[in-house]
Amino acid sequence: MGAFAAILRKDLRLESRGGESTITLVALSLLILVVMVFALNPAGGAGDAGTAAGALWVALIFSGTIGATRVLTAESANGCLRALLLSPADRATLYCAKMVAAFIFMTVAEAAAVVIMVLFFNMDFDIRLARLAPVLALGALGFAALATLLAAISGRVRAGDLLLPLLAVPLFVPALIAGVKASGSALAGEPLSAFSEWLKILIAFDVLFLSAGYLLFEHVIGED
Amino acid sequence: MSRNTINSLGLLTLVLMVAALFMVFVYVPTEAVQGIVQRIFYFHVPCAWVAFAAFALVAISGIFYLWLGQQVWDDLGYAAAESGMVFCTLVLVTGSIWARPIWGAWWTWDSRLTTTLILWLLYCGYLMLRAMADDTPQVARFAAVVGIVAAADVPIIIVSVRLWRTIHPAVLVTRQGTHGLEDPRMVATLLVSMAAFTALFAWLLMLRFATLRTRTRLSLLARELGRTRAAVGDL
Amino acid sequence: MENLSYLFAAYTVIFAVIFLYVLFLWRRQARLDAELRSLEGGLRMVREELAEREASPSQASR
Repeated sequence: MGAFAAILRKDLRLESRGGESTITLVALSLLILVVMVFALNPAGGAGDAGTAAGALWVALIFSGTIGATRVLTAESANGCLRALLLSPADRATLYCAKMVAAFIFMTVAEAAAVVIMVLFFNMDFDIRLARLAPVLALGALGFAALATLLAAISGRVRAGDLLLPLLAVPLFVPALIAGVKASGSALAGEPLSAFSEWLKILIAFDVLFLSAGYLLFEHVIGED
Repeated sequence: MSRNTINSLGLLTLVLMVAALFMVFVYVPTEAVQGIVQRIFYFHVPCAWVAFAAFALVAISGIFYLWLGQQVWDDLGYAAAESGMVFCTLVLVTGSIWARPIWGAWWTWDSRLTTTLILWLLYCGYLMLRAMADDTPQVARFAAVVGIVAAADVPIIIVSVRLWRTIHPAVLVTRQGTHGLEDPRMVATLLVSMAAFTALFAWLLMLRFATLRTRTRLSLLARELGRTRAAVGDL
Repeated sequence: MENLSYLFAAYTVIFAVIFLYVLFLWRRQARLDAELRSLEGGLRMVREELAEREASPSQASR
């Protein structure tokens, strides 16, 4: 637990000093929402709940891809990864710390994206956003779990940054379907019970990829 | 895997394939509702079966590779993924050709079509990884992990896609009921085609597996040559 | 019977794809076999040289 907290604290402190990742992710989310408004030309208001939900999830995938790449490449760039692997912390702990760091970056970016969405799509800050929060949190957790595992692979392959979305997006499809549907319902003002099926799929996805990452991370990280 | 085994498997495939073609085009009666185009079914379904079996094999050999660390499992997984990809492509293409006259559209977001497409994309990523990472020594472990994760994802994909389609309004008639195999000759034809495609898959798998074994031997030999050259230089 | 062209197209695609894949496999195997032979030849030559030098150490010592 000590190693987990230490690695996570280090990542967050690094970020709080430079803040490049967070600023990049927030700016990217803003850009994606602008692009979606131009591309889909929504009328605004609750009638566009589906479009707004779709835009949010596109932003989530982009910010997740970049966030996960950042938390792992920041280490390997200056040989820190080797030092971390030599330290007594085991690989599963390293995975958890990196995954949580990616999750936090994604959550910040998502929060910004939600605020921007409310403004652009002319919605209200009300109970609907509270219902949206668990959906987005589950989606971000699932993507962080998946992308942290895959970023360890793509970081060691030439043109790996192209490979990461190619691997991550098809794997993320079930969570994407469930998340877009649930977010659409939440934004349209439906109660939580209306999309509980989708939440179950999101939870199943998160459990699957958290355990897969926890168990398999030791096979993809390392210097041999 | 000797060349003889592969060749006899090839011969078996040829015999079964000729039998299957004969049954599809001569023996089996034409289906009443869909007409002659329903005969695509007898090759479409075996392709799907083989593609799914191949992808299961990728995951199984991935597990064995991570467990035992033997190169054979990595070669088997790679061979299964590549030949599975060939059949998965055939499923999508023949399905599309079949859907056009029957459903009036090349593509519909039907749950089975969507699942197959996502599976195709998953293994596209897997093969891209293998193509991009062939100069890194860890590629076998990377591929094993991706293969396992992809297979583990399949149940959730199926559930979510099915739920997605039932909530969406059904625009087109679903495939259910349109090919009830009421005639025993249809069942027999399907079974022979299944056998033919299973043999074909096994043959292609063995061919590809043999190339990969050669490649493994080649890299071992290259290393040995380097060592021997160094020994000559030392003298 | 107007759908005959679809049936024909489907079966043509199946056999074309399989044929191309087999061709591709066959060519790759042939290339690897050639490489293997040349490498084995190289290894044999180096080994013979090694054996020769061990047999007559006076000549090999430099």
